Amino acid sequence: MVSFILSILHFALLSAGLLQENTQINGTTRDETGNVLTEVSIYLSSTATAEDGTPLLTRQVKSDREGAFRFAGLPFGKYTLTASHMGYQDQRFDILLDTQHPSATIQLEMAAENRQIQDVIIFGGTRTRQAREQAVRAVVIDVAKAAEQPTTLAELMNRSTGIRMRQSGGLGNAVDISINGFQGNSVQYFKDGIPLEYLGGGYGLNNVPINLLERVEVYKGVVPVSLGGDALGGAVNLVTKTQQHARLNASYEIASFNTHIGQLSAYQTIGSNYFVGLDAFYNYSDNDYMADVQVVDENANPVPVTVPLFHNGYKQHFVEVSGGIKNTLWADELRFSLAQYRIDRESQHPALMTNAYGALMTHNKGLVPSLRYQKKWLDQRLGLDQFVSYSTIERSRIDTVMGTYDWYGNFKPGSSMGESPRRSLARIDFDNIISRTNIYYRLHTRHKLEANLVINHNNRIGSDPYGLRFSGTDIDVLSKEATFHKTISGLTWESNWLNNRLINQATFKYFHFMARGINGFLANATDLDQFTETSNHNFGLGNAVKYVINHRSFIRASVELTNRLPREAELFGDSDTRAPNFQLEPERSFNVNLGYSYDTDRLHFEAGTFYRKTKGMILLVPVQPPFAQYQNLDSIRGYGFDLDLNYRFAKNWTFQGNVTWQDNRMVDIGEGLYKWIEGTRLRNTPYFFSNAGVAGQFSDLFGSGDAFKTYLHWNYIREFYLNHIPRDKEPQGFLGLFGKSGVAVTNLIPDQHLLNVGFNYYLAHQPITLGFEVKNVTDTKLYDYYKIQRPGRSLHLKLNYSLNK
Amino acid sequence: MKTINIFALFTMVIAGFFLSSCTKDDPDPLPETTEKYVLITLADRVSGTKAGFISAFDEYPTGTVSNATSGSLEGQGMGGWRVYENYIFKMFRTSDYATGIEKIEITKDGTVSSGQFIASKDAAAAAKYFGTGNLVIQNQTSGFYWDAAEPTKIQKFNPATMANTGSLDLSAAVQERGEGVDAITFRSVGQKLLAIKGGKLFANITYATSPVNQIGFFDDYFPDVYIAVIDIATGNYEKTIKIEDTGSIAYINENHMYDFDTNGDLYIVTQGRSALGGKSKIVRIKANATDIDSSWELKFSDFRATDNGKFVGVFAKNGRLILTLNTETLTGGGAGNINSADIWKFYSLDVSDASKTFREITGVPVGTNPGAAMAAVEVDGKILLRGSTKAGENGYYEYNAGTNSATLSFSVNVGGGVSGFHKIEIE
Repeated sequence: MVSFILSILHFALLSAGLLQENTQINGTTRDETGNVLTEVSIYLSSTATAEDGTPLLTRQVKSDREGAFRFAGLPFGKYTLTASHMGYQDQRFDILLDTQHPSATIQLEMAAENRQIQDVIIFGGTRTRQAREQAVRAVVIDVAKAAEQPTTLAELMNRSTGIRMRQSGGLGNAVDISINGFQGNSVQYFKDGIPLEYLGGGYGLNNVPINLLERVEVYKGVVPVSLGGDALGGAVNLVTKTQQHARLNASYEIASFNTHIGQLSAYQTIGSNYFVGLDAFYNYSDNDYMADVQVVDENANPVPVTVPLFHNGYKQHFVEVSGGIKNTLWADELRFSLAQYRIDRESQHPALMTNAYGALMTHNKGLVPSLRYQKKWLDQRLGLDQFVSYSTIERSRIDTVMGTYDWYGNFKPGSSMGESPRRSLARIDFDNIISRTNIYYRLHTRHKLEANLVINHNNRIGSDPYGLRFSGTDIDVLSKEATFHKTISGLTWESNWLNNRLINQATFKYFHFMARGINGFLANATDLDQFTETSNHNFGLGNAVKYVINHRSFIRASVELTNRLPREAELFGDSDTRAPNFQLEPERSFNVNLGYSYDTDRLHFEAGTFYRKTKGMILLVPVQPPFAQYQNLDSIRGYGFDLDLNYRFAKNWTFQGNVTWQDNRMVDIGEGLYKWIEGTRLRNTPYFFSNAGVAGQFSDLFGSGDAFKTYLHWNYIREFYLNHIPRDKEPQGFLGLFGKSGVAVTNLIPDQHLLNVGFNYYLAHQPITLGFEVKNVTDTKLYDYYKIQRPGRSLHLKLNYSLNK
Repeated sequence: MKTINIFALFTMVIAGFFLSSCTKDDPDPLPETTEKYVLITLADRVSGTKAGFISAFDEYPTGTVSNATSGSLEGQGMGGWRVYENYIFKMFRTSDYATGIEKIEITKDGTVSSGQFIASKDAAAAAKYFGTGNLVIQNQTSGFYWDAAEPTKIQKFNPATMANTGSLDLSAAVQERGEGVDAITFRSVGQKLLAIKGGKLFANITYATSPVNQIGFFDDYFPDVYIAVIDIATGNYEKTIKIEDTGSIAYINENHMYDFDTNGDLYIVTQGRSALGGKSKIVRIKANATDIDSSWELKFSDFRATDNGKFVGVFAKNGRLILTLNTETLTGGGAGNINSADIWKFYSLDVSDASKTFREITGVPVGTNPGAAMAAVEVDGKILLRGSTKAGENGYYEYNAGTNSATLSFSVNVGGGVSGFHKIEIE
């Protein structure tokens, strides 16, 4: 791997030498708030003209994802540079190149054509908008627009169309996303295009403050080749803020349940070629919200009580320092980063809130150095983006207390170790190498090829003095190393037709994995020196097309046949009650998406629909008690639609709403005993949810130059069932949205309404913003997962400080 | 005001007339009873919490029926039940799979619901040590159960009010052996066997060696299984008897791990050394005795000399035992056959047969493990055998003792594999 990286760097340096030019004009494009603008059209023309009056030299480029652009190899002379971008006023500069000034650097600040609209409507002529309008459909959450709000990333995403975030408790608890019914491992997560596994859980949807992000791209259906994942039908890409200038941003949130969230982000350039940066955050919460539980009375009958959770805390820090070189002839950017994190989590209860734990802890810490190299050549027609990281991650679970706790926090001493069924002093070390190589080459103004390669190598080894042993031995099951290696490669061809009204992206992907370990389940016929090795590979194909109907509307469609490789934990188990299964095969899914988008100054409307057929879903199946094992079990066929509306109904007021309905059902049930499940809904999966909200913005409210934003968000989720219910017993009515099941269903997640209100206040002429929010205003009992209660009403106050140079 | 008073007086007179005529002239009405045939099915494939359905039918089911109807109850812990006359109990709570004793309520219109629940006094202990809710009913108002919170005691309860009424401390009986042995990690009494015969309570004593995962199951310290005998009237511990050279008496769930023959003889199953069998046997305590009958026992190796399986239940009637036995060597794990393959076949054996001949019962399919199900039940005088296969055969088959064969009585197409069938009367 190391030699491979060195080869890439060597190639880059060599290329830079070959392409060195004496003159150049370069620069960056940003909006008025300092955010980078991409795809800005930069037009360069010489003032010297031919006899017919046309410029002797003209060139055109677009700013890249860092907002950078560059023209090289220019003859001395005078030039006019014009920058234009949808939604922004054109910028124009005159430039002279001569022996005294062979190069010029231009920092373009694009002014919005209509500032009022840009502030109120969350979609504009920005990178966020471009991401939203690519041929591959993505729901783009404009996180930067909500940075001042005391809102979590999961809450922001929950307001978006077609996405349902589910969280098992308060701050820091696990978050899962449901996209078109795909959830769990069917959805993959990325940070700036890199598979998020490399950060080991220290950076994710459940813990990263929104201030660190510019946007979140949620892909429904086809996943772009550049993400290099084996997602089955959904992917989430967390896009961080791009830094070009000195910048300082800090925020602090204090909230109910002794919650404190701090964040610091700083960036400093040193000269024109060096930079250093820092991203850090700290999360802490007691999560001691009130919960309805049951205690036992003198008759041994359960009695409902409402108590504060007492061992539900979450503490985390994440620090990433980075530094590097930029804008040199051999590298547009070479960035070295070192991230360190630690998570300490109290565990209050088992899978359901049936009993209390008072001492069980889990820890997760990691150290993650990484290197990223980016370079474009040939007037940005050729680009390379290389990332490599080596993560050392340590996870531990400690359950050694001698006794048990009740819901009031009282301790009852006992004679055996562990308050859970799994006593533990486990420590598991993971070594993880991820390399991602992305290369594109623009063959022509209308054709672009992009190749992507992700290599993920993972080793696991650990120990637990109280854990399982191989049968008849004292050998710790965790002590035997497990290795997992996967390669995901892809190629896409993007082409523009009909004067850029038709964009087509054809993709090809190749997936491969190899796993090596000991199949130690119950030590059946296991030779401890005999490692089991398994591998599998598969192909994926996809195509996405977008057709611009007019300047207000477009349609797009995508179709994909893709794979999801088994995860390491699914193959190896957890050396406890989850048994290994080396016979697992990739899940396969065929997905079709169709969408329509309509835009005016006041209105944005979008409609989408999907079809999916997924085979061999990997599910945890009970085998020999108490063991369960991941197996390729079910097939799903589904379709659905979502509608999204954003409307500015008054000068200062905007309405936003969306609805999502999905009909994912079981198909191809093999076993005759379970044939009745054929056609029933996919269990434990939301099928209807909607959002509505209003936001208002007012300037000069309390004084000249200040601003005030207020908002209200309502979220509704229709009840859904934990188990299969015969189709003829499902709730009837339009789309199954009304009434109750024809069977007395006990195991359901009920209808729920969530109401949040808040405001932001921007101090006049100060880089300070104040945010306040009341979550769950009506103090409703909320559940994302069965019998796991979420927090009630809570108050949140957030202070933001932001300086841009 | 005057109008109202006159109207009230008139109403009282009319009401008094009708009420007095009822009490004077009508005979005391007999309490109405309604018969219900109650069926439980296990629908779970992935949750591991025994999801399924219970339905109540007005008449004995015929043909093919659905077990997910308008009055059915959906929930967890539908692995089976314990029944006593018109009581139906589950060892798992429908709402969350917590172990304990849940009473199933059925109304005259056939609506099934989960009723009162007796919980463990320490839910964390109950999650750690399986068996909380293992129960036996003495009569309408008295029963016994085990609670992991107090493992060396046997809890008493009232099945009518579903209230704990005290406990019997058997710590001394448990300590009669294995005291100070470090290898014994857990001790309990009544965790897996509670049976009442002749005014005596029989409760197994567990000496477990496993620190984790199914503590007390297939991890016996001693090769013999010990059973404490308690006099119910006095609550006094009397003695400990033992089943020699076998293994765990597990499992404790709802399949009949012991049964009384028509003559009152008690037959007890032990599953053997491991979950996959070995030294599994059935022993007998004669009707008028409190000791293991040393003159008779049935070993799995009597069925197959290789001893590659185990007994998983017993049904006794008129001196004949009905058993389900594995046709192939048992294997565990994800690809194992013990729980997921059609390998379990019905056999009958006459206790009086000195040759111990296992006779295959024809007409009922070779099916999946009846482990947490009622493999054989008696309803309306019919002996019904559970036939449930992966291929889809799923129902109860009526046994003909004369021909040693069974014919399909009714089958179930919706709701999962049949797990139990019982008849009750509702007043």
